[in-house]
Amino acid sequence: MSNKESLPMVRIEKLRKSFGSHVVLRDVSLDVRAGEVLVIIGASGSGKSTLLRCINMMEVPERGRIFVDGQPMGQHKDDGSFTVFPDRVLNEKRAQIGMVFQSFNLFAHLTVLDNITIGPVTVKKTPPAEARELAMALLEKVGLAEKADSYPSRLSGGQQQRVAIARALAMKPKLMLFDEPTSALDPELVGDVLATMKQLAEEGMTMIVVTHEMGFAREVADRVLFFHQGDMLEEGTPEAIFSNPRHQRTQDFLRRVLPAPGAPCRPAPAPTAYIGKAAC
Amino acid sequence: MDYAFNWRVVWQNWDFLISGITLTLGVTAASLSCAIVIGLAVGLMRLSKKGLLRRLAMAYVEIFRNTPALVQLIWVYYCLPVLVGINLDATSACIVALSTNGAAYVAEIFRAGIQGVPPGQVEAARSIGMSYGETMRKIILPQATRKMIPPFVNEAVSLLKYSSLVSVLGVSDLTYQAQVLSTTTFRPIEIFTFIGVVYFLVCWMMSSAAQVLERRLAVSDR
Repeated sequence: MSNKESLPMVRIEKLRKSFGSHVVLRDVSLDVRAGEVLVIIGASGSGKSTLLRCINMMEVPERGRIFVDGQPMGQHKDDGSFTVFPDRVLNEKRAQIGMVFQSFNLFAHLTVLDNITIGPVTVKKTPPAEARELAMALLEKVGLAEKADSYPSRLSGGQQQRVAIARALAMKPKLMLFDEPTSALDPELVGDVLATMKQLAEEGMTMIVVTHEMGFAREVADRVLFFHQGDMLEEGTPEAIFSNPRHQRTQDFLRRVLPAPGAPCRPAPAPTAYIGKAAC
Repeated sequence: MDYAFNWRVVWQNWDFLISGITLTLGVTAASLSCAIVIGLAVGLMRLSKKGLLRRLAMAYVEIFRNTPALVQLIWVYYCLPVLVGINLDATSACIVALSTNGAAYVAEIFRAGIQGVPPGQVEAARSIGMSYGETMRKIILPQATRKMIPPFVNEAVSLLKYSSLVSVLGVSDLTYQAQVLSTTTFRPIEIFTFIGVVYFLVCWMMSSAAQVLERRLAVSDR
């Protein structure tokens, strides 16, 4: 274990979190390999978003241990309790983890370009010219270079989310967290965002994705994890989870979210878009 | 009504009145600047996670909002020297009183403005590693400011009007000069009509400037 190479990109040990008397995470343990795409599925309120948000300390867990790239994300006490690092340390760690939110959260008062450069310039002290170059390259990559000078309110939801992905990537993160990135989007806009994510996965980015897009899970995930009432109930390859779920609750959940066999597929969106065929 | 207006009294004492306007504007500007600094601090304390800071800020706001400005003014001038041994000249006492009073309202404006920015903006900023201070300066305040302009102009206008209270301490602001002129010239109607118009024009110009600014800042909403 002393060799950093042998450590997973993310290691979570016995993570516990409650809101008041409601236990949201029940001693969850989980490893994510470098380069792996892990998709977490489960009903609303099952704790999957909270788990994601604990990884970069958007939520502070009560007990357990979290390591990202071998580095602890908080002060792990011997009695198992968890204390958050002071801000300065925490900020450095967060800068290495990209997060994409359900509601995009682009900075409303900044242009698309400034949304992407503000992180590198403010946090990493990257020279502005260099940050702009990087931002333009990322915008090119997500197909929105022509929107560089627009304000977020002029963009569609799908475009905003792709800018948000570019903003996270501008920090050159080791790990990307996606918290229901397409749940707030109109159906016809989902494809472009998923296509961008798929491209990122193919480039070898370590990704943890909380989503209801079963097609994406099936096609892109290396591993799918089914979350139920604050704990993982079942995990496996997409093939194993979708075609042969062992647990009754997993079966029930999948029956609710997947189209019935023989039902018409959702038509594939725009030509460049990711094809949502796998769910059918 | 057979009152014979004699507006000459205004022109004859023009320099005297101008000196009052200058002082009124000076006291207002100084008080407003201090009120913004103190108000920002109190407003941020009001939003702090630490209970003590929050309660202190709340107490501050309540005390200053629920006592008359005139009482505060007189208290700072007559009571503070006795209690703390700080002797302030009348003008400084006025600036202190108006700043601390204004800060209570400005603090509420900052608090409301900051709370009006969606929490997702903070999360996004913190998630890329920005500190609390950077998040405030670069993300939250620029967005909050836009929403704060209308209530802030209100506050500036009312501070300017409150500044007329300083005349009770013998500070020669516009109102005080007008009182002096009234008693020496026996022309209060002309003089107080004139300074009423002056107060109106200054306040109205501030509101108009704020509207222009508001429109310009709204660019990113379009």
